[in-house]
Amino acid sequence: MMEQKKKKAINRLQTMYPLRANIDKMYERGVEASKTGKPTAWCMVNWWEADPILKAMDVEVVYPENYGAVCAAFGTAPAYLDRSDADGFPTHMCGYARNCIGYTSRMTELGQIPPEAPMGGMAKPFLLLCSGALCDARYKWFQALGRYLDAPVWTVEIPHIGVAESQDPATRAQVIKFMVKELGEFVKFMERMLNKKMDWDKLAEVTDDLIKVNRLWHEINELRKARPCPMHSRDFWSCMNASLYPAGDPKESLKLYQDMYTEVKDRVDKKIGAVANEKYRMLFAELPPWHDLKIFDELADRGWNFVVESWAYHPAKPIDTTKVSNPLERIAAETYHWLTGYFDEAYKAKEYMGYFAYPYLEWARTYQCDGGLLHPLLTCRTATNHLMLIQDRLLNKLKVPTLVAEGDIVDLKLFNHAETMRKAETLEEMMDHYKQKRRDEGLEW
Amino acid sequence: MVVNRKGIERIKEIYQDRASRAQELKAGGKQVMGYLCIYPVLEMLTALDIVPFRILGQMSEPITKADACLPTIVCPFIRSTLDLGLKGKYDFMDGVVMAHVCDVGEKTSHIWRTYLNPPYYYFLDVPHTTHLAAQEQMKEQIKTLRQTLEDFTGKKITAAKLKQAIDLHNQQRALVRELYDLRKPDPPLISGAETLQTMVALMSIPVAEGNDLLKQVISEVKQRKNKLSKKPRLLIWGSIIDNVALVEMIESAGANVVMDDICVGSRAFFPAVAQTDDPLDGLAYRYLVELKCPRTFREATYGETKKDYIQDLESRFGYIKEYIRDWNVNGVILQAVRYCDIHGYEVPAVRDYLDHIGTPHIYLEHDYSEAALAPLRTRVQAFLELLG
Ligand code: SF4
Ligand code: SF4
Repeated sequence: MMEQKKKKAINRLQTMYPLRANIDKMYERGVEASKTGKPTAWCMVNWWEADPILKAMDVEVVYPENYGAVCAAFGTAPAYLDRSDADGFPTHMCGYARNCIGYTSRMTELGQIPPEAPMGGMAKPFLLLCSGALCDARYKWFQALGRYLDAPVWTVEIPHIGVAESQDPATRAQVIKFMVKELGEFVKFMERMLNKKMDWDKLAEVTDDLIKVNRLWHEINELRKARPCPMHSRDFWSCMNASLYPAGDPKESLKLYQDMYTEVKDRVDKKIGAVANEKYRMLFAELPPWHDLKIFDELADRGWNFVVESWAYHPAKPIDTTKVSNPLERIAAETYHWLTGYFDEAYKAKEYMGYFAYPYLEWARTYQCDGGLLHPLLTCRTATNHLMLIQDRLLNKLKVPTLVAEGDIVDLKLFNHAETMRKAETLEEMMDHYKQKRRDEGLEW
Repeated sequence: MVVNRKGIERIKEIYQDRASRAQELKAGGKQVMGYLCIYPVLEMLTALDIVPFRILGQMSEPITKADACLPTIVCPFIRSTLDLGLKGKYDFMDGVVMAHVCDVGEKTSHIWRTYLNPPYYYFLDVPHTTHLAAQEQMKEQIKTLRQTLEDFTGKKITAAKLKQAIDLHNQQRALVRELYDLRKPDPPLISGAETLQTMVALMSIPVAEGNDLLKQVISEVKQRKNKLSKKPRLLIWGSIIDNVALVEMIESAGANVVMDDICVGSRAFFPAVAQTDDPLDGLAYRYLVELKCPRTFREATYGETKKDYIQDLESRFGYIKEYIRDWNVNGVILQAVRYCDIHGYEVPAVRDYLDHIGTPHIYLEHDYSEAALAPLRTRVQAFLELLG
C-alpha cells in the first residue's frame, strides 16, 4: 500500500516558484555578462536609490550581501570567513561582509572566480557601490575591499533624519535637494566610468517600472491582513529579491508579481490560509534563519502563520510621485519615503525609532498579530539593535508577547532549533493569556 | 563650593567625579547639555552659555538596565552610556544633542529619546561622505540645531556670540596641541594616562574654565621635577577610550603613550574652525571634513575611476604618519572595543598603512571592562620586547 504523503503545513504560493527562479539567475547573468565584456557592479542594498541608475546604464549588478546568504546555504562560507579572519578582519563583523572579504581575497589570489564559488560566483567588479542606509557595513566593507580590488568605491548618501526632526516640511525638502545633488554627481561619475551618456528616457522608464513593482508588491502584502492570512513569510522571503535588490528585468518582475497578486487575492476571496488552521498570527523580525527555514513548517503544524516580517525588506507604503518630472528627484523622494514612511505615525505615538522598530508596532495592530519571533544575529547589529526595544514596546503597549531566538547569518550552528521549539510552547501560553488581556483592555484583536 | 585644587590635581578630581562641576553649575542656574560623540557642534552651546557635557560610559559600572532595550552584541561603550542614562546618572542634564555617528550610536539616540524623553533633544544627522553637497547638508543640520536651541532657551545666538564661542573653542584646541607638544620630548613630560584624564575633564566643564585649567596644567607640567623615564614611545589608535585603565596597563607594561588618534584625545581637539564669512561654513567643514573618525567615508580623489590602494591609504591615514614623525613614535597600538564595526573594518587598512611606512603595530580588542585587560598585558609586553 502506498504511504500517504503528509500534506505540507505551509501552503506555498504557486506563483512564487517562477519569481524565485528568475531571482536565482542573477549571479549567472552577472558572470555571463562579464564574459561578454559587460561591466558588473557589486552593490549594497540601496533601496532603489542607485539601482535604477545602474539599470538604465546597462550595468550588470550583483549583491554580495545576498551572496553571503548563498555561500552560507551552500557551505562555502566557513572557508571564506577563515580567510577574512586570517587577513586580520575582526570576527565580530558582519558575516556577509567577512564572507565577501574572504571570497575577494581568494579571487584576487587566483586571478579568477574561485572554482568552488556557488551559483557561478560573483564576477570581478568594475565598481563597488556602497549605500549609507541603515548600516555601517554597507560602506565600510566595500572601502575595506580596496586592499584586493582596484575598482572605485562610490557611496550614495541617504540621510537619517530623526522622527521629530522629520516633521518639519523644510527638512524633507532639504533632504531631497541633497539627495538629488548627490545622485546627479553619481550619474556624472557613471558617465565617466562607462564613457557614455545617461539615457534619461530610459532612466525615467526604469524608475517608473521599479515603482510599479514595489507598489504591486506592497499591495500583495496588504492582502495578507486578511484572516486567514493567505501568504506566509516564507513566500515573502522567496520573492522579495525581485523588489529589494531588484534582481532581474523589472518588466518581467512586474508580470510575475501580477500573477502572484491574482493568486493571493483569490485565496483571500476563498478564505484560504497559508496555514491550514491559523491559530496564531505572527510577526517576524528581522533576517530569517535561512538555513533552518523548515522550523516554520513545524511551527505551522502548531497553527502559527507568519503574516508580516522583516521591515527592511518591505517596500515603502506607496506615494504618488508621478508628477515629479526629474527622475532623480523621483528616486530621491521614493527612497526617502521608504525610510521615513512610518515617521508621522511614530511621532504621534511618541516612538522615536521610526524605522525598524515602530513599523512592527503598527503591523502588530494592522495585521492583528498574536505574537512575534525575534531573531537577534550575532554579527549583524543592524538587524538586531532594535529587537529588545520592539519586545518591550510590543508587550507593554500592545500586549503582544514575543520569543527571542538567537542566531547568525553565516554561523549556522548558533541557531538552536530544539530550544526555539521549546520556547514556542511557552510563547503559546503567553499568547493565549495576552489575547484575553488585549480584549480586556479594549484592543481590537 | 570653592574650587581649591589646581592643575593636574584638579583634573584628577574632575576625572574621578566628572558630573560634579556640571551639577554645581546647574544648581547655580546654568543649563547643561549632554552630547554624544564628537559631532555635535559645541560652539552653539557655548554661544548660549550652556555647559556642554560629553556623554561617556563608566567602565567599572555593571550594565544592568540597558540590556532591556539594547542587545548585548552592540558596542559596550554605547550600552554603558545608555545604562547610565536609564539609571538617572544624567538626569542633571537639560537635554541632549545626539548624532548619527555610527549605526548603533544612531539607534541608541532614538532609544534615549523614547525612554528618557529629555526636555531638549536634537538628532544631528551627519552625512556619510565629505562631498560638497554633504557639506551643505551638514550646514543645514547645524542651522536647525541652532534654531532648536534658540527656541528652547528663548535666546538668540548672535553672530558676535557665535564668533566668541568659536574663538574660545579654538583657543582650547590650540592649548590641547600645546599640551600634546609636551609629549614630544623623550621622555615625555606628561604621561598618556594623565593626558587622557585631562581630555575627559575638558569634556565635563565649560570651555572657558577648561582653558584656564589647561593653562595651569601646561605650566605645571613644564616645571615638573619628577620626570618620566625613557621607554618605547607608542601611539594609540582606535575607538573610544574614556577610562585610563587601558592606557595605564600599557604604560605600566613598560611604555610611554606619547600620542593618540582617538576621540577623547587628538581626534576631538586638533581640528580648529576656520573663520569664514558665514561662520556656519567653517563649522560645517570642521565637523564634517576635518574630524577624522572612520565613520565618515573618504576617497583619495573625489569621483576617482580607479582605486590606487596606497594613495587611498595616504589620503585616509596620512596624518598618522605626521604624528609618528613629530612625536617620534616607535610603535602603534591599534585598539577597538568589541562590536565596533566602524573601527573593525578599518583595522587591516591601518595595519597595511603602518607596514607601508615601516612602523610596528599590534591590534587589541577589548570589551570595555577592566577585567578583560589582564590577558592583553602579555601581548603588550611581547610587543614592547619586539620594539626593544
Ligand atoms: S544589515 Fe547586517 S547583514 Fe547587511 S551588511 Fe549590514 S551588518 Fe551585514
Ligand atoms: S566605539 Fe564604535 S560602535 Fe561604539 S559608539 Fe564609537 S564608533 Fe560607534
